[in-house]
Amino acid sequence: MRWFLTCAALVLAPITAFADPDTESIVNGHVMPGVRALSVAATQLSRAAEKDCAADSPSLRTAYHQAFDAWISISHLRFGPSEQDDRAFALAFWPDTRGKTPKALAGLLASEDAAVRSPKDFAEVSIAARGFYALEFLLFDPAYSEGDAYHCALVRAVSGDIARIAAAILSDWEGGFASAMINPDGEPYKTQAEVAQQFFTSLTTSLEFTSDVRLGRPLGTFDRPRPKRAEAWRSGRSLRHVVLSLRANQDLAYYLSGGDEGIDTAFQRAIAAASELNDPIFANVDDPTGRFRVEVLKQMVDNLRDTIAQDLGPALGIAAGFNAMDGD
Amino acid sequence: MQNRRAFLAGLAAAGLVPQATWADAGNPSFLSAGKTPDGRYVLCGLDDQGKAVFQLTLPGRGHAAAAHPNLAQAVAFARRPGQFAVVIDCARGREISRLETPPGRHFYGHGAFSSDGRRLFTTENDFENARGVVGIWDVAKDYQRVGEFASAGVGPHDIKLLPDDVLVVANGGIETHPDAGRAKLNIPTMRPNLAFIGPDGVLLDVVELDPSLHKNSIRHLGVGRYGQVAFGMQWQGDAAANVPLLGVVRRGEAPVLFDTEMADVEDLAGYVGSVGVSDDAGLVGITSPRGNVAQFFDISSGELVGRNEIQDVCGIAPLGSSFLLTTGMGVVAGSRESMFRVRSKYQIQWDNHLIAV
Repeated sequence: MRWFLTCAALVLAPITAFADPDTESIVNGHVMPGVRALSVAATQLSRAAEKDCAADSPSLRTAYHQAFDAWISISHLRFGPSEQDDRAFALAFWPDTRGKTPKALAGLLASEDAAVRSPKDFAEVSIAARGFYALEFLLFDPAYSEGDAYHCALVRAVSGDIARIAAAILSDWEGGFASAMINPDGEPYKTQAEVAQQFFTSLTTSLEFTSDVRLGRPLGTFDRPRPKRAEAWRSGRSLRHVVLSLRANQDLAYYLSGGDEGIDTAFQRAIAAASELNDPIFANVDDPTGRFRVEVLKQMVDNLRDTIAQDLGPALGIAAGFNAMDGD
Repeated sequence: MQNRRAFLAGLAAAGLVPQATWADAGNPSFLSAGKTPDGRYVLCGLDDQGKAVFQLTLPGRGHAAAAHPNLAQAVAFARRPGQFAVVIDCARGREISRLETPPGRHFYGHGAFSSDGRRLFTTENDFENARGVVGIWDVAKDYQRVGEFASAGVGPHDIKLLPDDVLVVANGGIETHPDAGRAKLNIPTMRPNLAFIGPDGVLLDVVELDPSLHKNSIRHLGVGRYGQVAFGMQWQGDAAANVPLLGVVRRGEAPVLFDTEMADVEDLAGYVGSVGVSDDAGLVGITSPRGNVAQFFDISSGELVGRNEIQDVCGIAPLGSSFLLTTGMGVVAGSRESMFRVRSKYQIQWDNHLIAV
């Protein structure tokens, strides 16, 4: 028993370095503005598609970029409203390691599936044919962006579906989830600490995803770089997603750490390194210099995650366990 | 080379080459992978008091191991998505062979020997096709890969041998791809199952849970001497759900889920890390390194008979009518019902699984 007490004291020691996170501020200052922005941008996307469904329509493309930006900026909040009915997957089926999105879209296009006519039916089509990554194919991939009447209906169906999902996420947050996080008293959170831990998990999982998937996938191996596996490269958004996600993570980390300067500066450096990459779709990963710069960025993200797990985690009552964070 | 191998194998079969047995390796009762303070990854043998009897360095972080039924050989598996497994002569303290997955496959970190010790079975990912396979390796031929069969699901994780030589595989249902790190690719459509497969690869039975539990990834197994299979799950749905995380089934029968009332599911943080069944098959024990708790149940009545709060507890293995537990904090402890006794403390952080030899 004495051993455990010693151990607990060691684990708890860093608490003094951070103030208790103000979860109400996180919800009202970090979550809600992002969730509202997504709902607004997604509605505008749907309206733009109704007005002009042509793949090369400038207004539609602008609306697509704005709505996608808004999603990436809250895509780390993978709990509660975003997980209800698999909404996050329906908005963002990626990474698509086996090309299910183009296959599902090809199926809909070839059969002119009538599901596009009903929001309810469209919500039942393959999840790979829904959301932003499907819409990207329809607007930016020459093989899927040919503009006949059915293509137009599909663009509208996907856009409308995105708008409905975004509205449902907002509705759940406003309709009780926000207050359940601000005043935890049972379901799904019992204490402020549990709420803080939920946000902490969002933060570390998001950094892991940026490193392993957003950066790791195009890097591939030195012998076999895979630039075409970069996220949303067709619409030139790969690096943009890294930056947007890091910014959103920086904001959340700032709240969670009570404004810790060290963590904030580390984010600032990583975001600066990303912004200076000048390689929007990681096309240069097959060139040694270009590759090196992406690897450096990946290392910075990994270091950020380590710092947060080791310093911030214990302060929030999450021991840097050897097995606990594994998922094995 | 082939001839020499066959020649040696023949000698071994004829008992002419003295092969080390577990007695030569100090008679460990358990195996566990771990990490030393200087950052090395090791495989250790522990006696039934939790004392280390050997420690061997591994090339990377381990996960689980499999112990040969009579030869002093252990196979230590890399943590997923690793592509190596190391065969260790535990008596001489050296690597005697290395398993590498063929192209398009990686290990999931678990394996099991056939009861005669001639074959090793390993859970693997055929990641381009998102299907699980079980690799077959020939022990006498220097652990040469001799084939594979379907695991009857996606994301096979734990694999155990039943007393009647049937294999049971926990198909966790989660699709992953090494190019996408540990990202889970199919949560909305995942369908875990428990597959009973003959040693020849013939599928005998598949157990699936109610569709409302399709996000309950079946991951880890404990097997009782009468063929009971205890299975631990990891919930992939929204955190708020109070779902059962432990079940017990016998082949051909309906599974019994230990419901939220008796299992104190909230304690487990949606995550069971390891499962053990006591040697007398009377108790089943589960650990949750996320909930920092071990729970023990009467396997027949499902009654919760004990729980211990232990930081980062994960490894569990039967020790008579009770259990030995290991933690990521270096503790090896004996446990039974409400009693919990630290047997040894190490500088080594123990990895997820404690394997009975």
